[in-house]
Amino acid sequence: MSEKINIPEHYGRWEADITIGKKEDHVTIGYWRDGCKGCGICVDVCPKKVWEIIEAKDKWNGQVVQVTDAAKCIKCMLCEIHCPDFCIKIY
Amino acid sequence: MAFEYEKYLRMDKIPHLWCPGCGIGVVLKAMLRSVENMGWDKNDIAFVSGIGCTSRAPGYIDCNTLHTTHGRALSFATGIKLAQPAKHVVVFSGDGDATAIGGNHFIHACRRNIDITLVVVNNNTYGMTGGQHSPTTPIGYKASTTIYGNIDPTFDICLLAKAAGASYVARATVNKGKMLEKYITKGFEHKGFSVIVATANCHTQFGRKNKMSDPISARKWIESREIPIDKARNMKALELNDKIITGEFISEEPEQTYWENYNHPIHEYTEAYQRIREKAQAQDKH
Repeated sequence: MSEKINIPEHYGRWEADITIGKKEDHVTIGYWRDGCKGCGICVDVCPKKVWEIIEAKDKWNGQVVQVTDAAKCIKCMLCEIHCPDFCIKIY
Repeated sequence: MAFEYEKYLRMDKIPHLWCPGCGIGVVLKAMLRSVENMGWDKNDIAFVSGIGCTSRAPGYIDCNTLHTTHGRALSFATGIKLAQPAKHVVVFSGDGDATAIGGNHFIHACRRNIDITLVVVNNNTYGMTGGQHSPTTPIGYKASTTIYGNIDPTFDICLLAKAAGASYVARATVNKGKMLEKYITKGFEHKGFSVIVATANCHTQFGRKNKMSDPISARKWIESREIPIDKARNMKALELNDKIITGEFISEEPEQTYWENYNHPIHEYTEAYQRIREKAQAQDKH
């Protein structure tokens, strides 16, 4: 991969090999759980249902998100653009 | 390829204080991407804001930032621009800050057509002070000061800016992050006063009273009211009631105003001010 991956240490990571159309690619999804406020926008905007809401007792509304299956990701970057809390990084 | 927001942020202040799902975060990200698109040096940018939820944004940006009095962000920004014409001045303002408390400063900054970019985040309410109705609360919607429904007609910030003399006016919503980035970049490139209105969701204060207390339904409500400007031109005024018209309202280079000497056309307010300054200094010498 020519792209430099620069996800900070405290970010959770999911990696997968994906196929977009006929092109082989690799995706790395970074997610900062401590910064996440559990608003659920990423779950709503994702066209491939990569994200899901899970229960978390330490959060204000009792929820955070996690990646269900990184292999479904098509790198549309919608979740990264629409996350208001700088918590998602897609490489 | 992920964007490195860390480059432009004071990371010790993140996570920010905005509510979960607040649209201001999306607008701030779009603005930071636009700064990257322009390739500006961080030392050459001044971010100015007033008071309000939106105006907390410069506190998180690692550039020259100024957090000023309520509604007066544009006045401070005008001062910075006149003192340092080579710097890029960006004002980040809310709907109350820009059109209610600072309404007068807003129209006069438009009139002067000074080279400042104003990003107005319109969330239809005064979010920070408890959800009072603002000049952009739609008719019939509830706020903490209009508990039986608002009866005041609203300001259309874009049409107001256009009529007052701004030379670049555009509007996008938080649902279209890329569109916001495009318009803010165009506003940065534009020489003259540019206004970009970003319609954002305030589900905590405005939504809670209007049956959309979560970010998803508040964003859906905004999406359901969006109309592109090309489509809106063929529609009747009644159909456009309670709709958000998105797109570029005006995009033109300011008219060249010839002043004193016909060989030196003045394109912009800061240049005219510079000329006055030189004239005053020349007079002092005699």
